[in-house]
Amino acid sequence: MFHWLEKNPFAFAVVVIVTIAFAGLVEIVPHFAQQARPVIGTTPYSTLELAGRHVYIKNSCNACHSQLVRPFKSETDRYGDYSLSGEYAYDRPFLWGSKRTGPDLMRVGNYRTTDWHENHMKDPASVVPGSIMPAYGWMFVNEADIDTSYAEQLTVAKFFGVPYNKPVPMKDGSTKIIKMGATVEEARAMALAEAKLITADMKNQDVKDAVENGKIPEIVAIIAYMNSLK
Amino acid sequence: MNKLYIWAVVFAALMIVLTYLSVGTTEGGLNDDVVNQLAVAGAVALVVISVFVVVKYVRQMQVDTADGDLAEESWDGIGEYLNEVPKGWAILYILTMIWGMWYFTMGYPVNAYSQIGEYNEDVAAHDAKFAAEYKGITGNRLVEMGESVFLAECKVCHGISADGIDGKAANLNQRIEAVAVKHAIMNGANNFTTDFPGGMPPGLNYMFASEAELDELVNYVVAGMPADDTRGAELFAQGTCNGCHGDTGEGMPYAGPKINGYDIATVSSVLKDGKKGAIGTMPKFERLNAKQIEAVSAYITSLSK
Repeated sequence: MFHWLEKNPFAFAVVVIVTIAFAGLVEIVPHFAQQARPVIGTTPYSTLELAGRHVYIKNSCNACHSQLVRPFKSETDRYGDYSLSGEYAYDRPFLWGSKRTGPDLMRVGNYRTTDWHENHMKDPASVVPGSIMPAYGWMFVNEADIDTSYAEQLTVAKFFGVPYNKPVPMKDGSTKIIKMGATVEEARAMALAEAKLITADMKNQDVKDAVENGKIPEIVAIIAYMNSLK
Repeated sequence: MNKLYIWAVVFAALMIVLTYLSVGTTEGGLNDDVVNQLAVAGAVALVVISVFVVVKYVRQMQVDTADGDLAEESWDGIGEYLNEVPKGWAILYILTMIWGMWYFTMGYPVNAYSQIGEYNEDVAAHDAKFAAEYKGITGNRLVEMGESVFLAECKVCHGISADGIDGKAANLNQRIEAVAVKHAIMNGANNFTTDFPGGMPPGLNYMFASEAELDELVNYVVAGMPADDTRGAELFAQGTCNGCHGDTGEGMPYAGPKINGYDIATVSSVLKDGKKGAIGTMPKFERLNAKQIEAVSAYITSLSK
C-alpha cells in the first residue's frame, strides 16, 4: 500500500490532507463544543432583564464597568469566582468591557441588592463617598423598551436556539424554565409582573406608581438585570 | 596516499593557523585567559573532526561500490536498496516513540502550565499563610482586622461609621432599630433559615393592648433590654418574645437570635443567609472565611459597647 502511495503523489497528498484534517477535527471539535456550551446554571435573560441589558448598553455602562473576573486571588476576593466562557452563552454581545474605571459587575447580583442599586443610581456618592460615577436620574423617568427586548428574545430563540420555555439545568441538579411570552402583549404583562417584584423592594414612590400604572421605568429594568448577574 | 587527504591536512592546518593569528596573539589572548584557551581548543577540535568526517564520506562516495537487493520500484531509473535499518537509528527511533508516549500521557499533563492551576496554588498558599498568621488572633487585633473587613465589604451599604447612611441600611452602632423591631413583630421574620429554621410568626402585635404598649416594648428592646426595666421585661413576656429569644434576650439555639446585643453567632447568622426587613435587603456574604466573620463580628460588637 505504501509503495503504491509513493508512486501516486497526488493521491498521497489527498490522503495526507484527509488524515491531518481528521486528526484536527477529532482534537478540536469536542473541546470547542465543550467550551462553547453554557455553564450549568447559566440561564437566558427574561424580558425585563434583557430590557435592562439594553439600558446598560445604551448608557455605556460597559465603558467603565467590566464583566469579566480574571483568575487572580485579588480579583476573586473582590468579585467572586473567575469567569468561564460558557457563562456568556446568552450574552449578545458579551459586555466584557475594556477598562475598569468602576468595579467589575460580572457577579454584582450576589452582593448588592435592589434598594442599594436604587440609592446608588439616584446619587452614587451618597452610598460610595468619593465615587466619580455620575447620577442616572433619567432612568427613574424614562420608560424601558420592553417590545425591543421581546423582539430580541424571539430572534435569539428562533435563530440561535436559546432555550426559552425549555428546562435549563441548574447547579443543584434541578431545572428552571425561563418563560417567554407567546405574544407581545403577554411579554409586556410578564415584564410588568416581574417589575412589580422589583418595586416591592424599592422606595421611590414615582417609580412604584409608574409600575402600578403599567409603565416600567428604566431603573426597574436595569435593577432586574443587575440582580440577574450572578 | 589520496590527494584528498593532503588537501584535508592542509585545510585543517590553515584553519588552525588562522584561528591562532586572529585570537592567539592579541592582548589577553591565549596566554592569559583559560576561557580563550578552551574556546580555541574547541575550535581546533571542530575543524579537525569536520574535515575528517567530510573526507571519510567523500572518499566513500569515490570508492564504494553498490551491493544488495534492489526494491521493486524505481523512479526514472533510480532504484532503492532493501537495506537493513541502521541499528543506532532504529534504537533512537524506538526511544523517541517511548518518550513521546510518556510526554503525552505523563510529561505534558503533569508538568504543563495552567492559569487555573497557578490560581489554585496562589489561593492555597494565601489561605495557608492567612491561617498561620491569624491563628491565635484575639482582642484588639481581632477588632482591627474586623474593621478592615468591614471597610472592604460592609461600608458600601452601612457606611464608614456603620450608621447605615441615613437609614439606607441598618445602623450597626446599636443592636436593633425601632422600625426593625416593629416590622418584625407585625410582619414576622424568616431571615436566618440556617441557624433559626422556624422563623418568627407575623402578627405578634396583637399580644399588646395598644399601640402605646407596643411602642413601650419596642423602646425596651431598642435600649438593649436593660435589667432594671421591669415594665419592659413584663411586656417582653406578655408578647411571648421570651419564648424564643429568652428572658434576657440572649437568644436560644434554633429558636431565636440574641437581640439584646451583638455576638459572633448573631452576626454570622446574618452573613450566612442575608436579611430582608424593614430597612431593605442585605445579600448573604459567603465569600468571608470563618476568621473574617469572627473578626467582623467582634468589630460590630465593639461598636455598640
